[in-house]
Amino acid sequence: MSEREVLDLDVLFVGAGPASLAGAIHLKRLLSKSGTEASVAVLEKASEIGAHSLSGAIVDPRALRELFPDFPDTDLPFEAEVSEEHLYYLTENKKIPFPFVPPSMSHHHCFVTSLGKLTRWLGNKCENEGVDIFCGFAGTKLLYEGEQVVGVRTGDRGIDKNGEKKPQFEPGADIRAKVVILGEGTRGSLTKNLIDRHELMQGCNPQVWAVGVKELWQMPSGTVPPGYVAHTMGFPLGQAIFGGAFLYGMQNDIWDLGLVVGLDYQNPGVDSHHELQRLKNHPWIRSLLSAGKMIAYGAKSLPEGGWYSIPKLSVGGAMLIGDSAGFMNGQRLKGIHLAMKSGMLAAETTAEALATGKFSESDLADYDSRIASSWIRDELWKVRNFHQGFDRGLFGGLANAGIGLFTGGRGWGIKNRLSSEAGHKKMQKGVKKNRYQDLQFDGTYLFDKVTDVYYSATAHEEDQVPHLKIRDQDVCVSKCTEEYGNPCEKFCPANVYEMLPDGDGQRLQINFSNCVHCKTCDIMDPYQIIDWVPPEGGDGPVWVNL
Amino acid sequence: MKIAVLVKQVPGADSPLPIQSDQNWVDEGAVAFIMNESDNYALEEALQIRESMGEGEVVAVSLGPDRIQKVIREALAKGADRAIHIQMDTEGVIDPLVTASLFAHALKEENFDLIFTGLQSDDLGMGQTGIILGEMLGMATASLAMATELGDGKIKVKRELEAGWFQWVSLTLPASVSIQSGLNTPRYPSLKGIMGAKRKELKVVTPNVIDATQSLEKVYLPKSEKQTVMIEGSADQIVERLVETFRNEIKVL
Amino acid sequence: MMDILIVLEDNNGKIHRMGLESIAAGQRLSNEMGLTAGALVLGGNADGLADQASAYQLGEVLKVNDALLESYSADGYSEAVKQIIDQENPTYVLFGHTYQVRDYVPRLSAKMNKPFLVDNIAIRVENGQPIFTKQMFNAKLSADVEANSSGPFLVSFQSAAFSMDAAAAGSASIRESTVQLDTAMIRTKSEPPFQEGAGGVDLTSADIIVSIGRGIGKEENIPLAVELSKALGGELAASRPVVDSGWLPSAHQIGSSGQSVSPKLYLALGISGAIQHVVGMKGSKKIVTINKDPDAPIFEISDYGVVGDILEIIPKLTEAIQALKN
Repeated sequence: MSEREVLDLDVLFVGAGPASLAGAIHLKRLLSKSGTEASVAVLEKASEIGAHSLSGAIVDPRALRELFPDFPDTDLPFEAEVSEEHLYYLTENKKIPFPFVPPSMSHHHCFVTSLGKLTRWLGNKCENEGVDIFCGFAGTKLLYEGEQVVGVRTGDRGIDKNGEKKPQFEPGADIRAKVVILGEGTRGSLTKNLIDRHELMQGCNPQVWAVGVKELWQMPSGTVPPGYVAHTMGFPLGQAIFGGAFLYGMQNDIWDLGLVVGLDYQNPGVDSHHELQRLKNHPWIRSLLSAGKMIAYGAKSLPEGGWYSIPKLSVGGAMLIGDSAGFMNGQRLKGIHLAMKSGMLAAETTAEALATGKFSESDLADYDSRIASSWIRDELWKVRNFHQGFDRGLFGGLANAGIGLFTGGRGWGIKNRLSSEAGHKKMQKGVKKNRYQDLQFDGTYLFDKVTDVYYSATAHEEDQVPHLKIRDQDVCVSKCTEEYGNPCEKFCPANVYEMLPDGDGQRLQINFSNCVHCKTCDIMDPYQIIDWVPPEGGDGPVWVNL
Repeated sequence: MKIAVLVKQVPGADSPLPIQSDQNWVDEGAVAFIMNESDNYALEEALQIRESMGEGEVVAVSLGPDRIQKVIREALAKGADRAIHIQMDTEGVIDPLVTASLFAHALKEENFDLIFTGLQSDDLGMGQTGIILGEMLGMATASLAMATELGDGKIKVKRELEAGWFQWVSLTLPASVSIQSGLNTPRYPSLKGIMGAKRKELKVVTPNVIDATQSLEKVYLPKSEKQTVMIEGSADQIVERLVETFRNEIKVL
Repeated sequence: MMDILIVLEDNNGKIHRMGLESIAAGQRLSNEMGLTAGALVLGGNADGLADQASAYQLGEVLKVNDALLESYSADGYSEAVKQIIDQENPTYVLFGHTYQVRDYVPRLSAKMNKPFLVDNIAIRVENGQPIFTKQMFNAKLSADVEANSSGPFLVSFQSAAFSMDAAAAGSASIRESTVQLDTAMIRTKSEPPFQEGAGGVDLTSADIIVSIGRGIGKEENIPLAVELSKALGGELAASRPVVDSGWLPSAHQIGSSGQSVSPKLYLALGISGAIQHVVGMKGSKKIVTINKDPDAPIFEISDYGVVGDILEIIPKLTEAIQALKN
């Protein structure tokens, strides 16, 4: 088959995450209520739903309950209701509990959840509603007529590493749709293009991200309380690096340990994977995990900028939902309910557009209005300056957040909107102190990056052009080495980037096959010359319950 | 020309394989499943035969619990005309005489000209079901096909032998052939194929339980009782000791 | 009459090595369970094979000559062996897990409705009953399998699970037997086997693998490893970094994104033992490692280890082996 397939649909969601799946379910129900026939499909680059889904996570059930009001909590795909919650400040050896948990950081009545499990469950419901979910297809290009988005082209399959066609070559398919809804997740690649082309970030704060790295640990029977929640600050990140750890108790005696590291640190040597290993050195963590076995590893970036970093959400023929738009509550460390709600609101706009047959920018701007008058806005407004406070370090950030509780989210109590800078710009030149001098990987409790990557079960078709496009590799072996010491080797949690000796100099080797699709490189590279584009469809991690 | 292709859903090559506490099987809830690799090649071979003959029917058949519907639909999306799901719990079921009997029962009325199977499954690796099924249905059989050629009521199969040797064997139809990976280039499913799969016939049958002639007692991580013998000395001494080891202990020289 | 019947295969006029390994297995089983063991040779003219087999410690050697067995066929061989089993009524019928056995013994299993316990890497006797161990999930896990029916049980052994050198010599009498075959039951026609040029690199059937890792240093050093593998009569393989650097084609790659092997000897040169590589070779019968880093994780799974410079050792090793063979 070497002719480009063309498919005509009414609505196409890109990315089978909670935002798109909730949106597609909601849309199908609205259409069925109004008796409208419309074809709705979801495009997913992973080989199956959930394989690229990763989060902590603690889910606020609000959106799920709206979508499935008749389901008791026991029918919803949660691990367990949060049964106990702790907030600790860690030093290298001690664990100091916060005297109280501020209500806005409380996870009461929320649920410890595996995002992979949740998306598979939603995917099932989605298919039952008659939605086609195309797994193994990556959206690589937006199709336009003038400035109107009219569809998505999927990636070619069967191109070898020299860019030549292999015998099984198949050109990508053109999926034409009246409405394209981008739910690609964090730092979506089509989203990036849409934002650039239509200048959707004009007047907004630049988006700021963090990266979350996690390991799942299988413990002996009966030793993990499902629903246990702990969050920490302090060690190992210290005062200057935004972030903190989480420890959640899942079903089947699995500890879910993770670390969120803000991608706006100054020291170019920061390595989130190594920080996670340092965290495990803490006696409290060691006492919990050492009797177990690490069974899975993964990493994913997350948008931390908050309300003012959210772009204009619609253009002619397209809308942005979920993490692609930046709906994440950094203070509560929750975004899944916001993602789902945004998908549902996009579905409402879409249903109306299908009824009138009008999909222009002004028609779809209805979605922006719905967001602005929804509980998404109510929630995010209160924490609109959360991340920005941490520009003053940990205690500054906590103070800002604390004051914000009483002032409805004003920055430092007085400013409506704090400005922020893109995270990669904060990276400072020059070699800094090596944070990992004393870190030893023993291969049984502390793992080197290559070993952890194995546990992400990530695999890519080997014979293809690397999907990490670097616009000027000369920079890598000269300027970047001098100025920043090649931070790509450190900020990538999957050992994709390696500087290797090459005669008298060095060369950059891209082990693209290790990529876990976290997008950190696209975000954090100080020269902004790395473009992450989807690899061949079906490639990437195979996460089961991350 | 009616071709049945047996496809199995198995854990992916890099899937976690956590062993249940009773050691009876792996915890399937934590496993990432895919279509068995050589079955994918078998399916492609069948589709190519149907295409080159310009007529015929390819029927995907699979045995297992509900979760296997995913590989059945994948086979339909790739071009199988219809499918049969023999629905049963397969945890701990390893006896190919059992699985082949169940397939035989489901397929015998249909009088297939060809049955293709992958040479073995990547989970159990028994490598027998297709051949046993052939015997049960009175078919000629051949294994490890690296190429197939149809003509004159016969199928010619290029059998893989040891050490880079091959042999062409001609079989009368009907025949059951097990297919080696790599003999063709499996196609990707198209979007239309995926959409169309929902509309193709998927017959679900529930078989009768049969007694097994062999069973799984337990699964476990391979024991490593390795005591590494370190060989020391000068390079010449090391080489001498290595040659001796190769010769007398490992017996490869 | 014999309790254990060991079916031997013809390899160009000599007993196939894996048949000799099955003799070793059969003799062990016979000793541990107090059973008698005999061998079966069959073919157009199996006289030569019978003579060779009689040089081993066996109860007797059964010989079947039949024109219809001159050329191998699944129909013919499965029927012939079935008839012998019906005549002799052994409890265990042992085979080496060869391509030929994979082709016809499942037919035999179906004809008899008796289990074929395949590709065993070990067998042990517990409470007077044999437990068969095979690998599953591409050798990631081991499994103990039990027979549930009454015999005869068809059992095959993986290459090198037993050593042919453990097959004790002796003197066995040869008895001729016959089978009833007719041309109508043989529905296949085989052409003569042929060899195909080294297209693909099939590491999975190699008995000896010489594998190189990043420690080889640079592309210019690869011929050293090639020479060594030739001297040993083995195949050349590599870990991922070597392939990624473009020094060897990916067909040589061993590991999670390459091939999985379990040869008799895996000689790891300059390989650190990252888990991605180890999962592809830790089932090897014997692993010999040479690496200059004493902390390399690969030592943990090695039978023999050398902390040393592979660039110094490889040429000397090659020379010594060549000298031995000349």
